[in-house]
Amino acid sequence: MASLKEIRARIDSTKNTQQITRAMKLVSAAKLRRAQHNIVNMRPYALGLKRVIADIALTQKVSHPLMEPKTEIKKILLVVLTSDRGLCGAFNTNINKFTEQYWRANKSKVEKIDFFFIGRRGHDYFAKRGVKPVEYITKLDKDISYDLAARVADRLLKTYLSGEYDEIRLIYNEFKSAISQTVVCETLLPLDISNTSFGKEEGKAGFSVDMIFEPSPEQIVEQLLVKNFDLQVYRSMSESVASEHGARMSSMENATNNAKAMIEGLTLTYNKLRQEKITKELIEIVSGAEALA
Amino acid sequence: MFKLTVVTPERRLVLNQEIDEVTVPGFRGELNILPGHAPLITTLETGIMRWKIKGQAQEQVAVLSWGYCEVHPDGVEILADMADLPEEVDVQESQQALNLAEKRLLNESLDEENWKQVQREVARRRADLDIAKHKRV
Repeated sequence: MASLKEIRARIDSTKNTQQITRAMKLVSAAKLRRAQHNIVNMRPYALGLKRVIADIALTQKVSHPLMEPKTEIKKILLVVLTSDRGLCGAFNTNINKFTEQYWRANKSKVEKIDFFFIGRRGHDYFAKRGVKPVEYITKLDKDISYDLAARVADRLLKTYLSGEYDEIRLIYNEFKSAISQTVVCETLLPLDISNTSFGKEEGKAGFSVDMIFEPSPEQIVEQLLVKNFDLQVYRSMSESVASEHGARMSSMENATNNAKAMIEGLTLTYNKLRQEKITKELIEIVSGAEALA
Repeated sequence: MFKLTVVTPERRLVLNQEIDEVTVPGFRGELNILPGHAPLITTLETGIMRWKIKGQAQEQVAVLSWGYCEVHPDGVEILADMADLPEEVDVQESQQALNLAEKRLLNESLDEENWKQVQREVARRRADLDIAKHKRV
């Protein structure tokens, strides 16, 4: 049995840990709020953009190389979004597992699968398995700006247009709520207009036919498609960051609760032990006095 | 009712505000839009946009960088990459960024994409400095 002093020390150290996890939870909660704010702020822009593309595509009947599906998919680029830091439950593990599964399942079917890592955790995991990424960026949680997303999107777009890849897929954690995130695997390119809620409101689509276009509708659609792609990347990044903070918040909440339960158990043992000791001493005194009498 | 909406991915600058007129940096130069303008869709370059809120004499300004503008009978809708308001411009920072970008234009051999980007940066920073001055007048 541990001595009283030892138990005391364990209680103290558990209390310290609890304090840290509680602080981390609060920090994550604040960051989560900001990330959520980001997502909400983006909504009017995203809606506007989608509506316009659908409208123009409907009335003007334009098409674009980015929208045309490839007949055969031989070369795939996987963009994997993880966090830089741990202590966020299964957040990174889920992504890594999913990616590895996908990789192992499809490796033999296609010519090559390349990786683009955003976040340190994913990179490190696959580095141990001998995967060399084509690109690798970190520190997403500190400055997630539209600017950064646009740069990433631009690079992806260029490699796609140069014909280096037939398909670009994105794997990230979708933000459902603060306590639930799901891994999703999306096809970024080629763009699938039909399936992404484009043209859902076909009934009331469009503007008058005599709309003035400056420059031509084709050029506008092209620019808008690129913007839409940027936005998609930005959205996934925001979702991933929000998910990370949500996951960290709930796992830190759990850790705080566990610490509390542990402290309660330890305190109980401590008190029992103390009581035992007192009883023992009392018995000794009483029996000593009896012997003298 | 002629309403203006300006949104970027990161923020909402103006939402359904009733206005008297708006001037935007259009693809072919400045474009002034009054109520009753013909329906129009255009892309925007980096530059300054101005608008007058209904019933106010004071003109509002902001810097936009790349955007898209749709004019319909009920108003104007603008989607931009970035928008800076005069009170948010840090003159020193903008000046530094401008100097750096100009130096790059002069000294480095940039490919077309980068060149465009740096050009855009120069235009944005210049416009930032312009509206920052506007604030003090």
